[in-house]
Amino acid sequence: MGRSPLQGENASSFPPAQPPSEPVGIGLRYPYYEEILTTDLPLGWLEVHPENYFGGGVHRYFLGKVREKHQISLHGIGLSLGSDQPVREDHLRQFKELIELYAPFNVSDHASWSASGNAHLNDLLPLPYTQESLDRLARNVERTQNYFGRRILVENPSTYLAFSGNEMHEDAFMNALAEMTGCRILLDINNIYVQAHNHGYDAYAYIDTIETRYIGEFHLAGHIEREAGKRTLLIDTHSRPVKDDVWNLYAYALRRHGIIPTLIEWDQDFPSLDTLVGEAQKARALIQSATETEISDAAE
Amino acid sequence: MRLNDVQARFKEIMLDHPDALRTPGDDFAALFTAGDIPLPARLSVYRNNIVGSLTDVMVAGFPLIDNLVGRAFMEKMARSFILENPPQNGCLNLYGEGFEHFIERFEPAKSLPYLADVARLEIALNAAYYAPDDTPLPPDALARIAADSLAETILLPRKAVRLITSPYPLEKIRDFCLSSNKDRAETLDISTGGCHLLIDRPALDVRVSTLQKSEYTFLSDLLAGQTLGAALEHTLTLDETFDVHNALQRFFTLEAFSAINPK
Repeated sequence: MGRSPLQGENASSFPPAQPPSEPVGIGLRYPYYEEILTTDLPLGWLEVHPENYFGGGVHRYFLGKVREKHQISLHGIGLSLGSDQPVREDHLRQFKELIELYAPFNVSDHASWSASGNAHLNDLLPLPYTQESLDRLARNVERTQNYFGRRILVENPSTYLAFSGNEMHEDAFMNALAEMTGCRILLDINNIYVQAHNHGYDAYAYIDTIETRYIGEFHLAGHIEREAGKRTLLIDTHSRPVKDDVWNLYAYALRRHGIIPTLIEWDQDFPSLDTLVGEAQKARALIQSATETEISDAAE
Repeated sequence: MRLNDVQARFKEIMLDHPDALRTPGDDFAALFTAGDIPLPARLSVYRNNIVGSLTDVMVAGFPLIDNLVGRAFMEKMARSFILENPPQNGCLNLYGEGFEHFIERFEPAKSLPYLADVARLEIALNAAYYAPDDTPLPPDALARIAADSLAETILLPRKAVRLITSPYPLEKIRDFCLSSNKDRAETLDISTGGCHLLIDRPALDVRVSTLQKSEYTFLSDLLAGQTLGAALEHTLTLDETFDVHNALQRFFTLEAFSAINPK
């Protein structure tokens, strides 16, 4: 499908997709459209949810403008890869149209499910970590990769429930998925932290277990704490600055796995663009410091 | 329990009455590890995410109804709609289609007979906002159609084009809702007559134009794929004074069409 004049003046001349020159990016959301176009951002890339760009109109117009200046990733929230039913063809088609138009360097979705029958529950719902789930998820990941003609990344979710029938830990489940399908893992550091708290496991051990060669992207976001019975549940709201404990976990992941493109996610209670860029700068500083440690370790 | 059944049961509980979270049933509860945090508290995180996010989508998609009925009523109506009509796919841009039929049946809204038509207008505005981009025929394209082939000509409307008719003055209701310096005591007489509206999106912004009844009939027929000749004949049976040249000139000036005789 061709581009219409509305989708940017230099329709066919976007820079080709390539790994971003700077590793840290932020989510491009509606409130930032104008400012991002008129500001010289110290950022490597921008992420969008493709579902917001299905159809046409003003959102695609701005995405085209942004893509002239920046590398982008398409981070899906609607494929429902973990459903025990095939990924919807019309969703794949519209997603692929965006891949072809905007040439993202990364394409991703989640190790979770939303759709059961004809209902699409608008959340990233938890999977039992069983061989059956792994097989179903792998089949949908393969179907998606075949349809797109490229590798995708699959993100570890935040969960608030754990299944008693789990046959493996989530970290092993994610490694196995990458092994089976050739997909990459989009490792959300905040999600690991949130789950370690909610389910009582060691977040650092999770980071250790994930195999470096499978990781294609890191995510960072803020969460909130909610009273629940005698304890607190952490909820992954993407509505706050990244917590100090999560920054520490991220710094550990950088030392353990190396420098990997990293996204700061913020999807509710939007802050100023300066605040969001400030979070990205913090991530950049940790990358810098991890690089220096590596260099000094190598020199010793 | 097989994955398919787990997901079906989970869905049922999420879309059930809120009380269902408190008593999910022993077989369902046994699917999850027990801990310090009670299962209903854990389930309610998901329920709140699902219903809360969809309620936000509905409030954002129906700003006129929100304005007319107030936020508390809007949220209550939206929640009932969501549980009966959850989204059917992972793109929510057009979510809310069908709200007009729901409102017609929603008992607490019975005293507001115009509300369903306001929903129709908002659904059309939203559909135009997200319609796929396309290229209009230029205004002078009409003149290039040979006179002897006009009657057999089919015009393809642009993808954003929607038509709405109502016994209520929807455009006045819209202006009333959007008026920022509205006096709280101000009222609108909804018995001032109905409307025929064309909704489209010339570039990035959605536009509402008022049509004559005959223009509405004619354009409805064109949208349904009828030839100019058939649409004209039908329109003349309703209004023998209908001026087809003026009407076409107007629609071409509005850039309402994207192709002549599409294959």
